[in-house]
Amino acid sequence: MAMTAVARETVFALRRQIAKIEGTLPDRLQAPAGTAPAGSPPDADVTSRNLTIVRRGLAVVPSDAFLRTGAEPLDAALGGGLPKAALTEIHGTETRDAGAVAGFALALVSLILKQQQPRLPVLWIGTSEIFREAGFPYARGLHGLFGIEPGELLFSEAPRLVDALWVAEEAARMTALAAVILEIRGSPQRLDLTATRRLHARAQNAGRPVFLLRQAGEAEPTAAPVRLIVSAASSASRATIAGPLAGSIGRPAFTVSIGKSRTALPGQFTLEWNPDEHVFEQRRAGGAKNPVPVVPASRRRKDPAPASGAVLAFAAVGSPAAISPTARDQPSRPQRPAHIGPRRAG
Amino acid sequence: MISHRDRNAQRISALDERAEALHLKRGMGIADARAMHPSIEIVEADPEADRRLLEGLADWCDRYTPLVAIDGIDGLFLDVTGCTHLFGGERAMLDDILSRFFHQGFDVRAGLAATPGAAWAAARFAGDHIVQSGEEEALLVPLPLAALRIEPEIRASLESVGLRTAGAVMAAPRAPLARRFGATLLLRLDQALGRLDEAVSPRLPVAPLSVERHLAEPIMLTDDIERLVSLLATTLKADLERRGEGARRLALLLFRVDGAVSRIAVGTSRPLREPLLIQKLFHERLAALEQDIDAGYGFDLVRLSVLSAAAFDMQQADLTGETDDCDADIALFADRIRARLGEGAVLRSVTVESHLPERAVATVPFSEVPQRTSPPRRPVRNPPMTIYPPATIYPRERPIRLFRSPEPIEVPATEMPEGPPMNFRWRRALYRVARAEGPERIAPEWWRGQGGEDAPTRDYFRIEDSDGRRYWLYRQGLYGASQASPRWFMHGVFA
Repeated sequence: MAMTAVARETVFALRRQIAKIEGTLPDRLQAPAGTAPAGSPPDADVTSRNLTIVRRGLAVVPSDAFLRTGAEPLDAALGGGLPKAALTEIHGTETRDAGAVAGFALALVSLILKQQQPRLPVLWIGTSEIFREAGFPYARGLHGLFGIEPGELLFSEAPRLVDALWVAEEAARMTALAAVILEIRGSPQRLDLTATRRLHARAQNAGRPVFLLRQAGEAEPTAAPVRLIVSAASSASRATIAGPLAGSIGRPAFTVSIGKSRTALPGQFTLEWNPDEHVFEQRRAGGAKNPVPVVPASRRRKDPAPASGAVLAFAAVGSPAAISPTARDQPSRPQRPAHIGPRRAG
Repeated sequence: MISHRDRNAQRISALDERAEALHLKRGMGIADARAMHPSIEIVEADPEADRRLLEGLADWCDRYTPLVAIDGIDGLFLDVTGCTHLFGGERAMLDDILSRFFHQGFDVRAGLAATPGAAWAAARFAGDHIVQSGEEEALLVPLPLAALRIEPEIRASLESVGLRTAGAVMAAPRAPLARRFGATLLLRLDQALGRLDEAVSPRLPVAPLSVERHLAEPIMLTDDIERLVSLLATTLKADLERRGEGARRLALLLFRVDGAVSRIAVGTSRPLREPLLIQKLFHERLAALEQDIDAGYGFDLVRLSVLSAAAFDMQQADLTGETDDCDADIALFADRIRARLGEGAVLRSVTVESHLPERAVATVPFSEVPQRTSPPRRPVRNPPMTIYPPATIYPRERPIRLFRSPEPIEVPATEMPEGPPMNFRWRRALYRVARAEGPERIAPEWWRGQGGEDAPTRDYFRIEDSDGRRYWLYRQGLYGASQASPRWFMHGVFA
């Protein structure tokens, strides 16, 4: 870095001033291993090396100001997770991505609800247009995938964007809601910097997240500190005891890229939602492998007993049968029915 | 002059004083009238508009009494029992009604009596007359038979036997009258004389509670109306508290100086009595209706009525009463949204037992429902392992978004006749199927068969396209089952 120490000090002082003026966007400094951060102010106490220091203006905010997605690389890139009391934009590049975008947002809502006792309701606001184009949220699917009870999700369908924005602004300052989801389509003029700033400010005051889902929208300047671009990723196969089941559709997967963040570099992550545990998991390179053996190993023998009977049309995985490839497709001799044996003309 | 069609001929149904001066009469044929006076102006009758006008007048008359009934096509009954003292006595009230109608440009005749029948006769045949209780007979005796509110046929047959006034009918023996002319005649007579009770059925349900304020100076501004609502609601609160109730539906009636009445109603999710909250609800409603309400020259009477009330649970505030506050907050929030955007603005899903996916979830307007059917769980110390039994077991593989109506897709080819498609065209874009799961066969319940024949079954497939998006498609009907080849639909999207 060719920056002189004085220049760096100046930059840091300016940054601190900005943070003070805004009083909102936490300045996150990742302490690199070994050395203290270069511009670390003396009043921030570094207790551990791999600690994320979160500063809001000059006061240290607790780390539960962030919603940890559970996928380590994404959390690390975002510096601890998504801000809880803020407006967060979630973009889908096309309307047909609405399922993935809504699924990702609801997964985040599910993570929020999991931490709450008692569970507060969530309000989903959308214009009539988006509910017509992308489908209305379906309570049975939400319950099965995210564990959100039908009574916990309220919907507000507004005929016009102005009304939807008004409802969202009113809802964003309620502390009786766990989260607010505002879903719109495209990049309308009304949802500009001012409108998003208002939403963001109310979300900060209430301490509740507001998720702004924009289907088929362009990346526009908004007041949201974080923008994620979500699209569907092809899912892994279903895991069975005998290995992945070919041709099956497993857990929902998302490709998440960070479109805008104060701290993070642009990056792309593939996450998988675990509908049983209600947690995100980072997709591993070698496919989804269960680290725990599904069936305990047999105590006396190493291999499972050989399957009894003959193998028919489907080749079982791990079958010890050593039948020749040509003979495998044919039934064995005793099984061949007598009545279709070669018949001599009589 | 107004004409109407009666038995295939245009006849005069109503006419003004100048036309009367020309010796034209009601019921006269239009052709005859034209022949007599070619320059008369004739307008086709519009009973609908007349009806609307009469309803508008009835609304306006709400300022005198909540019990207003419409009588025929040209009359209004006002039950002013117990209301006259508010306007300075019967005479003053009648004068007030007449002068206000006169200033609005209506020619009105009014009568006031202890029975509806006598009042009717007084209004139509005596003119601006107050009949004291007990004087009904004296009023009716000289009047013609039409004053008895009887059918024209009965009237004609009475006249044919020489009974031409009400007094003559009263003097005649009752039994032969009843035998010859039916019970209606005596019923009307008894009702007019007060021997039998007659109920005036009001046009609108009477609000259990209402508060109003007459204004010396008409108000026009929304802010003033809201301030007035707050004042009225404060008065209302005392009444509601005395009854131990809260309002579930409230109506604000704004009486304009020139007679138009605006009626603004709001509903609440839970019984309400706080003036501030009531004012907030009307604030939203007034903001939404800003274009529709025409203040004109201002409103001179504002009334706030409780249309329906429910028991108001007094809640003892405890130190950790947070959940109750949250519920109340959400109820109030939903009310405000609904006051502005309409009844369906805040929705909630409820699950319904049904096989069909679109019927298995219904969206209903949010309301305070008694959700806590089970008593609250007692906290257990050191819970060994809390396993909450699931309320209902739903099938896991359901989409998270469902289209309101399934969208038809084009499927050019399937690998197997009963199998999933290889590619499909939806919204003019081609999708290549990478993986598919299914089919899951869903048929409607047998008791829902449409007109006796079976609705086609659906075979649902989970599809993942080459970009990783997951969809829920179905094929309606079976190949080879009927002549028409099965159609494919897109029904939902997965996460």
